[in-house]
Amino acid sequence: MTTTETHETTPVIPLPEAGARLALAVGAAATLASTFLSWTYTTDFPGDLTVTGYPGGLQVLTLIGAALTLVYALATFGVRGLGWLNPAGTFTPVLLLALGTFATTWYTVIAIAGELGGIVNLEPGGFIAAGASLVALLAALGLPLPRDTDPTSSRFTRATAPIFGTAHGRLKQPKALNTWAEIGIIIVAFAIGLFVAAYGIDTPYGELFVGFLIITGFAFGAIARAGLTTRLSALTTKHRQVTVGAAFAAAAAFPFTQDTDEFTLLAVSILIFATVALGLNVVVGLAGLLDLGYVAFLGVGSYTAALVSGTTASTFDVKFPFWAAALTGAAASLIFGVLIGAPTLRLRGDYLAIVTLGFGEIFRIAMGNLDGTSGPNITNGPNGIPNIPDLKLFGYDFGAEHTLAGFTLGSYANYFWLMLVCTAIVVTVFARAGNSRIGRAWVAIREDETAATAMGINGFRVKLIAFALGATLAGLAGTVQAHVQHTVVPEMYVFAGPVPPSSAFLLAAVILGGMGTITGPLVGATLLYVIPTKLQFLNDYQLLFFGIALVLLMRFRPEGIIANKRQQLEYHETDQTAVPEDTTLPPGTVGVSKAGA
Amino acid sequence: MHELPQTLANGLTLGALYGLIAIGYTMVYGIVQLINFAHGEIYMIGGFGALTIYIWLPSGTSLVFAIPLMIIGGVIASVGVATAAERFAYRPLRTAPRLAPLITAIGLSIALQQIVWGFYPDAKKARSFPEFQGDAFKITDNLQLQRADVFLLLAAPLCMLMLGVFVSKSRAGRAMQATSQDPDTAKLMGVNTDRIIVMAFAIGAAFAAIAAVSYGLKYGQINYEMGFIAGLKAFTAAVLGGIGNIYGAMLGGVVLGVAEALSITYIQDIPGMDKLGGGAWANVWAFVLLIVVLLVRPQGLLGERVADRA
Repeated sequence: MTTTETHETTPVIPLPEAGARLALAVGAAATLASTFLSWTYTTDFPGDLTVTGYPGGLQVLTLIGAALTLVYALATFGVRGLGWLNPAGTFTPVLLLALGTFATTWYTVIAIAGELGGIVNLEPGGFIAAGASLVALLAALGLPLPRDTDPTSSRFTRATAPIFGTAHGRLKQPKALNTWAEIGIIIVAFAIGLFVAAYGIDTPYGELFVGFLIITGFAFGAIARAGLTTRLSALTTKHRQVTVGAAFAAAAAFPFTQDTDEFTLLAVSILIFATVALGLNVVVGLAGLLDLGYVAFLGVGSYTAALVSGTTASTFDVKFPFWAAALTGAAASLIFGVLIGAPTLRLRGDYLAIVTLGFGEIFRIAMGNLDGTSGPNITNGPNGIPNIPDLKLFGYDFGAEHTLAGFTLGSYANYFWLMLVCTAIVVTVFARAGNSRIGRAWVAIREDETAATAMGINGFRVKLIAFALGATLAGLAGTVQAHVQHTVVPEMYVFAGPVPPSSAFLLAAVILGGMGTITGPLVGATLLYVIPTKLQFLNDYQLLFFGIALVLLMRFRPEGIIANKRQQLEYHETDQTAVPEDTTLPPGTVGVSKAGA
Repeated sequence: MHELPQTLANGLTLGALYGLIAIGYTMVYGIVQLINFAHGEIYMIGGFGALTIYIWLPSGTSLVFAIPLMIIGGVIASVGVATAAERFAYRPLRTAPRLAPLITAIGLSIALQQIVWGFYPDAKKARSFPEFQGDAFKITDNLQLQRADVFLLLAAPLCMLMLGVFVSKSRAGRAMQATSQDPDTAKLMGVNTDRIIVMAFAIGAAFAAIAAVSYGLKYGQINYEMGFIAGLKAFTAAVLGGIGNIYGAMLGGVVLGVAEALSITYIQDIPGMDKLGGGAWANVWAFVLLIVVLLVRPQGLLGERVADRA
């Protein structure tokens, strides 16, 4: 099963191994210590890095990176009690952590020098940190790392083998734990996840967020290479209910970590985006239908909810209770889904792509036209429908502040929980439908429509169900969105706009995260929402980066961050399922039949 | 009914424009079964390439001299981008599942649009394009043609004629037909299919550039967003005519253009739909036409029944 036989481990930089170990430990320790020094003279750089004895801002990230490097270095050197951290037993995690610490530190130092105008702004602490992290990195490169000696591998594969590692070795057998300990591990893992996510969402300035992205990216990579994610996913599969419960509990706890409504609103928007992305995943990931106008179905739900919400701006003088509005919105989306899907799903998949793209565009144009001058007055045209009232469910006012267990929670916390329920519904539908007879039919259609039809699957019918189901879920999310945003305008529903959710962003969230999985789109959507929000300086170019990222992603990792287990086991027959072996596309990874697209 | 001739003429020029762009979709699709979503942006880049040449020329250059140079500039820009996209984005994915190149195409489309928006001088809003001086040709009382329309109505059939001769008579054209029928067999017969595919992209891009120059001359401006809707319409035209068929693309373009022009003029006369006509709804009716065609004749007007290639 392992591919260790054909690969060897040698250092990238030839150093005596004992020396490299010593240098690594010293470098990491010195980096750690340097974060307690002052890095710059002035407080002009955000986060106050001037205080000696108390790390602040980006220094904290370096501190965490250095500490993790040190711990992992000790674990690989065989210090007792730390072996569980690195079941894979290679030096790759240490290298990744050293690299992450190095990148964060140097990013900080360069940012200080760049923003304040020259390296004179650095205090000795900054130089020590930069030097020590470089020493640690060089030392890590001197450790025996997995190499790819296969001459048929591409140059890229061979150069990155020490990081991506083709030689994983067999994971050490885990010690048997009792059930409660296992559940405890899952809960601790989710608590850490909640803390990291909340930290990232709360980062007050762009520099800190960049540092956060660098260090979490590398740390996550290191943990995955160490085999800990494989361990964790073994545990989560064993205790599925506990995992789902812990995940939702962690998410539900988010508003308690917040003092103001600002980031809760961000979290609600992320949830809406992620939920819609998950709905799209039914269509794209499970059934393999490319829907490029998905945001229009969200828009249908939003507009329907807005029209029946009782706002004075609505042309209908009705006020539905929320449950009725949600059902009406979902039903309206369903109708549009069937209207669009029925003529096109009989044809090859490419037609669906273009028709949905057209529908998304037409929806926006039509909503803008229905203003009374260019068309009948229904939607107020480009001005949209403002003043959508806050929700009231069972006498509970969503717009008011509430105090719960000593925490004051703003109105967005209510919407956050409502949206979380909505997410839970979509997750349930996705999981149940995906494992049902219909879900298996979707996968079969996706893999090979001709063969599936020959097996007696009514291709058109199951595709229409997938498409209509996807539309309905988006409509449901749209009804909540209308109340969260208090207003709907046509420009919210574009194909590619600077603000998610647009159809292209939704599709990218699904692809980036991993098609056909539940966690994939949630992770992808979170990243795609948070990164543009935090990196305002990218504003003008974010769509450009986004387009380029899509192209590169398709080229190098088409299965996304979190790949579908079934597909991965099929295409990568190694122990470590999270690693793509080929830089080329394995046939069918993205999960579309050649016939059906 | 006195506005009918003018409506038809407007539809015909619009249709010729759509047809020229649709050629690019249909040729690429006919050979590699890929919807090149980025084609709309390649059209847009052709327009900006031509504009660049015009800006370089000394001011006051007569359009008679400027237009050929502008067309050359536009063609170089669009063909360059299209072949580079083929080489670096699409070719590595040729054996990949169908969704992968489609998504690449969307990414490319967004990236190209943003590159022009971000880096072409003053492209953040519409840039003015040279227009023909002089009055429109008055043909009858009810019909007059702008000079740019005449240019378009001459350029489109000429391009089609050249393409028709090239595809049916030249060696490369016949290799192209062979590749579109069966790439593997064509390869075995000694056809360099990679080259043929590049050629299909290049021809489509060149036609798109000519269309972009015509568009600029007709409307007097180009902008970075013009590729999106134009690409969507051109794809509709290609489907309408039967995708994979070059004459179908032009026919589909003309049908779509005429249908759109008719909808602008006449929909509002239908009782009960008085507010659904005019330019604001033209795109909506074009889309409805696409749905209707897919419903009743999915293979398109000139298309043969396309069997699913498993």
